[in-house]
Amino acid sequence: MATKKNKRIGERSPVLYFILPALILVGLVLIYPIIYAVGISFFNWPLVDESSRGFIGISNYVRIFQDKEFWHALFLQLGFIFIAIPIELIMGFFVALLLNREFKGVNLIRSLLLLPVFVLPVLSGLTWRLMLQPEYGAISFLLNTLGIPQTAWLANPGTAYAAVIIQDIWRMWPFMFMFIYSGLINIPSSLIEAADLDGAKFWDKVIKIIIPLLRPTITTALLLRLIDALRIFSEVFVMTGGGPSNATTLLSLYIHKQAFRYFNVGYASAMGVILIVISLIIANFLVRRNMDSGS
Amino acid sequence: MKKKKLKMYLIIFISIIILIVELFPIAIIIMNSFKKDIDIWSANPFSFKPTLDSYKKVFQRKDVMLGLRNSLIVSILSTSFSLVVGAMASYALSRFKFRYRKALSYSFLISRMIPQISLSIPLFMMFRSLGLTDTLIALIFAHMSFNIPYVIWVLLPFFSSVPIEYEEAALVDGCNRKKVFWKIFIPLVGPGLVVATVFTFMMSWNEFLYALVLTSSNAKTAPVVINGFMGQYAPLWGQLAAAGTIMLIPVFVITLAFQRYLIGGMGGGVKG
Repeated sequence: MATKKNKRIGERSPVLYFILPALILVGLVLIYPIIYAVGISFFNWPLVDESSRGFIGISNYVRIFQDKEFWHALFLQLGFIFIAIPIELIMGFFVALLLNREFKGVNLIRSLLLLPVFVLPVLSGLTWRLMLQPEYGAISFLLNTLGIPQTAWLANPGTAYAAVIIQDIWRMWPFMFMFIYSGLINIPSSLIEAADLDGAKFWDKVIKIIIPLLRPTITTALLLRLIDALRIFSEVFVMTGGGPSNATTLLSLYIHKQAFRYFNVGYASAMGVILIVISLIIANFLVRRNMDSGS
Repeated sequence: MKKKKLKMYLIIFISIIILIVELFPIAIIIMNSFKKDIDIWSANPFSFKPTLDSYKKVFQRKDVMLGLRNSLIVSILSTSFSLVVGAMASYALSRFKFRYRKALSYSFLISRMIPQISLSIPLFMMFRSLGLTDTLIALIFAHMSFNIPYVIWVLLPFFSSVPIEYEEAALVDGCNRKKVFWKIFIPLVGPGLVVATVFTFMMSWNEFLYALVLTSSNAKTAPVVINGFMGQYAPLWGQLAAAGTIMLIPVFVITLAFQRYLIGGMGGGVKG
């Protein structure tokens, strides 16, 4: 009966009716640009003087390997990822444990904690820039009253890099918190209470019960954060502009600089393609997990 | 028993400290929006007389008003298009059997993760050769490159969880597929639509990179205008803070109002 109905309506045409608009649009603004990017990555393509444009094969990719600035950007990017994300995870985890109980106002605290995650990245970067100004910034002022001398935090390579990381931790640990908290409330409280009765100590409980049960949640959160951290741009761009002297030029900022300041779109695209490949490898794990558990 | 109560007070105390530290930067930006530029540059950052001076200046600035208008147009239109198109695709991907269905779902889902910086270069070149540089149309299309995959990502699990009997009954009753989609599915996936709407809107509202690369003056969105306040020599912090606070109002209203949907949205339909 059902098949007959379906035949009459026609299985094929409704599929197209529903999926074609998305396919066309995604093809236009996503697939075609990716092909385009791969294409120009094989060209010497200066935006300012397009007459000197020419096919150069894989030279741009070879150039990446010899480009000290690229390796520096990659190094900064990896440092950023490996410092910021673990701290965000640990803070999020413990605050989730702390707030996984009921008291007056806990709901309000939980939702207010989330606000930074949704603050405009541009505004976040600029706010930190303001707070770190040596003469009149609020953080500089507070540190000064604690006896730390006034410093131009964002003018010094080391402190500027640290500031960029702290800005990200501030913004994104609540993301980890909320993710882990949502996993935590799905753990039957009887499990945790049973451990309590057994006299299990706090750390035993965390290591033997909570972490194993939360593993899928934590993995998903980490993968999501990893992909996001890999392409961070706006916050850093407005906060430091990549400076001082490239100290905060993360991958996206370096690509942006090559493309829109030096106008080497061919070379910038080659780096962009590599970034796409890395992102897709990580995303592949995430999507597979999702599709497996979905079906 | 007394020890337990003491522990509870300690927990509440720590929670409040964490909250204060966490909200400090937001408080700073709001506080500075009530100061004059000149007062921000001088003296103690915490002492001031509140004034609406910066807000008055911001509301008189043509570029800010244009930026806010552009941000609203781009956010609303790219959200609406992405929702319709994405919901239809999710329906097809969850309900029809056809060749490459799995591969197609996979491609849509994974495409959400493509870094914007990599796309910004080809998009810039494409829109330039089409003569669409510095237009809202270009921005709306550019935003759909992350909004459509996101909508599909969020909605797919919602569509998949609708019991198949619902549509079988409707199809037997003589409804066609289009009617089933609009009359039966759309109401049933309501919560998913809320998540998708809230997040696509916020992603567009907060977006900076495409606006930076694809616009120069007419189509500038508010985040780019705000960044322009940094100026060459003297940053206009007061006006920057005022414009920033205005931009934050919809974000915070949405965040607090749709709190219970946020977790699902942040994961973007990912099952934890």
